[in-house]
Amino acid sequence: MLSRIDQSPLYRVANPRSIVFFGGSNKIESMGTNILMSLLGMGFDGPVFPVHPKEKTVQGLTAYASVLDLPVTPDLAVMVLPTASVNPTIEQCGRMGIRQVVVVSGGFKEVGGEGPTLEYEMVEICRRYGITLIGPNCLGVANPHHKLNTTFLPFEGRPGFIGLASQSGSFITQMFNYMARHHLGFSTAFSVGNSACIDIVDCLDYLGACPHTRVITLYIEGLTRGRAFVETARAISPQKPIVALYVGGSPAGRKAGSSHTGAMAGPDRLYDGIFRQAGIIRAANLTELFDFAWVLGTQPKPRSRGVVIQTHSGGPGAVAADAVGRTGLTLPDLSVQTLEALQPYVPHTGSVANPVDLTFSKNPMDFFAAIPKVLLEDNNVAMLMVYFLIPLPVIRRAMAQMGVAPERLESEAGQMVAEYARAFSQLHLQARKPVVGYTWRGLEERFVQLLMENGVPLFPEPERAARALAALVRYHEWRKVINADPVTG
Amino acid sequence: MNQEINMPAPGKILAEAIDRGQSALSEFQSKRLLACYGVPVTREALAKDAGQAMEIARRIGGPVALKACSALLMHKSERGLVMLNLKSDDEVGRAYEKLASAAGFELEGVLVQEMVDGQRELMAGLMRDSQFGPCVMLGLGGVLTEAMDDAVMRMAPVNENDVAGMMAGLRCKDILGAFRGQSPADALTLVAVLTGLGRIGLEHESVAEIDINPLVISPKGRIVAVDALVVLKKGKSHAVTH
Repeated sequence: MLSRIDQSPLYRVANPRSIVFFGGSNKIESMGTNILMSLLGMGFDGPVFPVHPKEKTVQGLTAYASVLDLPVTPDLAVMVLPTASVNPTIEQCGRMGIRQVVVVSGGFKEVGGEGPTLEYEMVEICRRYGITLIGPNCLGVANPHHKLNTTFLPFEGRPGFIGLASQSGSFITQMFNYMARHHLGFSTAFSVGNSACIDIVDCLDYLGACPHTRVITLYIEGLTRGRAFVETARAISPQKPIVALYVGGSPAGRKAGSSHTGAMAGPDRLYDGIFRQAGIIRAANLTELFDFAWVLGTQPKPRSRGVVIQTHSGGPGAVAADAVGRTGLTLPDLSVQTLEALQPYVPHTGSVANPVDLTFSKNPMDFFAAIPKVLLEDNNVAMLMVYFLIPLPVIRRAMAQMGVAPERLESEAGQMVAEYARAFSQLHLQARKPVVGYTWRGLEERFVQLLMENGVPLFPEPERAARALAALVRYHEWRKVINADPVTG
Repeated sequence: MNQEINMPAPGKILAEAIDRGQSALSEFQSKRLLACYGVPVTREALAKDAGQAMEIARRIGGPVALKACSALLMHKSERGLVMLNLKSDDEVGRAYEKLASAAGFELEGVLVQEMVDGQRELMAGLMRDSQFGPCVMLGLGGVLTEAMDDAVMRMAPVNENDVAGMMAGLRCKDILGAFRGQSPADALTLVAVLTGLGRIGLEHESVAEIDINPLVISPKGRIVAVDALVVLKKGKSHAVTH
């Protein structure tokens, strides 16, 4: 494991001070131009030098006819070139002293014919010059903390704490919007493409040492350095959670063997075991990958498996309880002290079992402050899951009845919602226990957005909330076992 | 140079089988190899004639099983080459004669084996993956192995934590605990079985796959390999020890 991030060969790939760009032009229909615009659009701090055989300027920047004409030696070269031009250009970059290259271009090992030979030559050139190369056939890197984006889509949102190493570039660039909507963000995301030189293990190693990365996500279709992968993951996971999505291991992939063991050893079963051994939490799908990362990256260690559900509606509480039970988490009874402390807040229609179903709150603010506070102080309760229903139309209606002038309804209702959100977020920050919410209201609603902004994971269904909490528990239970082990701990 | 003198027993078992051009070890050889790595196996011996079979059966005491034994036999029970619960000299003698002629080719011998009492059947195994190298498996065993498809895997070497995780990861994990009046499975022995399988994979390139099935849990929780198969790597049949 790396002790410092700048020891990684990927350091200047993810944190370049200057970039030479091959394949950008003034034609918007080209892939290269789009990627260059993504890079410039993010406001990369250092100089960007476009290389173009004919144009004098590219996207408003002075263009150079050849890399050899550049005034300085850039840290990183990004190539979106026709396949045949790639290797000669890497060679030129190598001679120039450029030591980091991203090759977006395809047409190598992923296709037949000349492809594999060209990729072999690429590796040889990189070896000769000591070049760290990502790709080919990839989308490179997004490091929002460094205003770096070599992918197709313009960056949206903000820098965050989720590291990603992916065997699909789409899950970097096409997730910007998804992340932004959930107030999440990548710390650094790598698309490894064909992994000619740098593979997912190198990226994992980098993200393990990356100070912006609180949780690592992996998208894996197949590994080529299996044992190195396990060793690297094992060294990182006791300190930093790793979540992985593996696809490509359906039972159809099983080989016929002479033994039962051979016949039953499908890749899915194998990866499942390997992940567990390395302390990696496995996600069943892409949504879960980021759900788990969200909770693992924001929530503290739960002391046990006990979840308390807080709701003011019966059905939503019951389905949450069902979901929690299915994940193997428990619904403990509340302590006598908690029951006493809740008394003043619970109307006679309410229930103080678990789920705590308030039916309604005498004072609406109690639901966001006093009640969750009491629940979180209970020693039986390790985690809190809250159902949120804050419909603005109802608040406006009530305010109108109370005589608020029509022109002030919108702003007063908004203010009230903001106060609820502030109170709950405050509690969440002080709780030292995992807290998540769920709602079927829209993600775009102000209350939901405010909670997410303050780091409360909020899910559009209780099943996702429960599975994410279960993933958090699984990670910390594993960590406890590993750290107690005199050999590996 | 004659290395045979210093050759550890497992290496010798494998080297001899490879010398003879075998593609797998017989059940008897398989269990001898596994026993070297701490896997508890049934008490058993090879008989070359009916008299020997009866003598071994008397030594074992109680009812015995007889099995045709050859490296060419990978699926004995499906071919009717296993006879169970034989109690008298007479039964053992007749079973011997039947099995010796039934296979249709020359056997290594007929294996006379203690009957192990236990309804709980597991399977344990070893396979090799191109990426992860030797990997071990634990699962529900017996005739329902494939039908239930309940198994978990880990990369070798495995430690106690890994094995605990494997046990907890089975759908049928409840049969490993106190179950219908029977004692919990001896977890330390399960650890020994799986670490042993992993070590064989790491130490012997010539071993391609291993099945222990069934790995029986007795009512008292004792764990015993009742049947085992060690498959050797292909293309090694002409390798000889120098």
